[in-house]
Amino acid sequence: MSTPTQEPGVWNAIRELPSNVWSSVFRNPLPSTDLERASTSFTNFFLHIHPVKVNRHTLRPSYTLGLGLISTFLFLILVVTGVLLMFYYVPSTTQAYDRMLDLRGTVAFGIFLRNMHRWSAHGMVAMVFLHLCRVFLTGAYKKPREFNWVIGVALFLVTLFLSFTGYLLPWDQLAFWAITVGTSIAAYAPVIGKQIQFVLLGDANVGQEALLRFYVLHVAVLPALLTMLIGVHFWRIRKDGGLSRPEKTGDSSRRRGDAENKRGEDAELPAAGTVTLKKVYGMQGFVRGPFLKLGNTPDDSVFSWPNLLMAELFVLVLTVSAILVLSLAFNAPLEQPVNVMHPPNPAKAPWYFLGLQEMVSYSAFWGGVGVPGILVALLLITPYIDRGTGGVGRWFARERLLANTIFLTLVVLNLIFVAIGTFFRGPNWTFVSPF
Amino acid sequence: MEAAKNENGNVPRRRLLAWLSSVGLAGSAVLAVLSDLIFFKPRVTYGQPALFQIGKPEEFPPGTRIAREAERICIVREGDKIAAISTTCTHLGCSVAISDTGFACPCHGSRYDQDGTVTGGPAPKPLPWFKVTLAPNGEIEVDKNAQVEPGTYLTV
Repeated sequence: MSTPTQEPGVWNAIRELPSNVWSSVFRNPLPSTDLERASTSFTNFFLHIHPVKVNRHTLRPSYTLGLGLISTFLFLILVVTGVLLMFYYVPSTTQAYDRMLDLRGTVAFGIFLRNMHRWSAHGMVAMVFLHLCRVFLTGAYKKPREFNWVIGVALFLVTLFLSFTGYLLPWDQLAFWAITVGTSIAAYAPVIGKQIQFVLLGDANVGQEALLRFYVLHVAVLPALLTMLIGVHFWRIRKDGGLSRPEKTGDSSRRRGDAENKRGEDAELPAAGTVTLKKVYGMQGFVRGPFLKLGNTPDDSVFSWPNLLMAELFVLVLTVSAILVLSLAFNAPLEQPVNVMHPPNPAKAPWYFLGLQEMVSYSAFWGGVGVPGILVALLLITPYIDRGTGGVGRWFARERLLANTIFLTLVVLNLIFVAIGTFFRGPNWTFVSPF
Repeated sequence: MEAAKNENGNVPRRRLLAWLSSVGLAGSAVLAVLSDLIFFKPRVTYGQPALFQIGKPEEFPPGTRIAREAERICIVREGDKIAAISTTCTHLGCSVAISDTGFACPCHGSRYDQDGTVTGGPAPKPLPWFKVTLAPNGEIEVDKNAQVEPGTYLTV
């Protein structure tokens, strides 16, 4: 810094331009002290989503398996590749398929972008589901995280619907008949089923209106909804006291309650830029709630910079690499253009709906609406039914044997149905051996 | 609710106004949602029309069973009686094909007899029959919005 004894000259200003611009953008130097590490996390727009400190338990790969992060990063890949694909796609029954061929034939990196988008989409459905399983099996939905679990279930459903709407856009045989079958399942809902199908398709059958509607849902409505829900989901992780963890991990102030405990992770940290040893309390210091405590009490937490950031970067690199390798190795399928007269035999819904379709082949209402409705309702009320506090923060805790057993049974049953529908059903939906 | 009343035993003006405006806001929200629902239900569809003409009766000689794939109907003529049966499978919406015994769905193996009654497979309902009339210009007119009892024929 120059001494303020005289007006700085223009020459000085030019000489200091790079460093002045830099320091106006980044309020902190690369952190070398704890104070700066903390300050980096909460003065940077993109980093302030993180708490200043996180519990060591949160960073254990064996606890979270990084599934939530992987889902988020897959969504980011999907947004980027999806926006790029939008530049060359036309949601018209006469043009959509040709545009797919153009992606393959003429657009630079077109086939690669489409592969990335397709494999990330499948991956996201799978990862979001596995994340849901992780949260259940570690009892992480328990108080005070009940509502974040509900948001998570909503995120899962929106993810499925996003994938489903994307399925139609290539306008090939697979797309057309999968959506015909899928929306027909929706029509089995009691009373309003037919109406739902009609509003969804904008017509009696899958056609131009359906393509346009699915396109708008897929590129605007649902991504916006998903982004908002992700925002709330992340925000609540912080407000609900960070990721779930076992009781005895060092921070005694984790439980809800006592107003005497001054807490709030930002409370004792100085305002941006000011490096001072004087304690400054913000309003956060008086907020009640299960916040991570900073202060004199020894706890088991480490600074987010660099510990959490490194973990995130690692998962990001891993996710992107996996998608890149998959996209280089496998091409996204593209079948014959739509032929309304000749459904393929058998006509199958997207794989994650094949469990439904398999059940629908036994009973239309129960398979398509009843059982899935009950399953979603069960998921939603789980944290309000299972009020026990034991076994939070551990995989397969003995205290949660019953809940975990019921959950795993349902998951395995569902997977069996998906597997049967995917591999064991041939022409006329007869049982065939895949081997 | 003692606190809700003032010394005269009346509801205070502020409270009443707050209550009325809350009802107004909630009402507008409900109206907004309802009008959205109306908006999303199309009044005009641009695909295959539901009411259409298929030709003169003499184009369908007695004994005809012709599947019209674009309209997803099968025209049946027995003697001087004409009917239109849907060829959209009642299971999951695939197009059924005409088979020796009636109709067969290639997707999930539903089978129907000549009249569209389910004879096998997962189909929950018979194939619907559509209203068939003779238009003033002498052509057969099919209305896919109007279902009729199976066995209801137009006599020409």
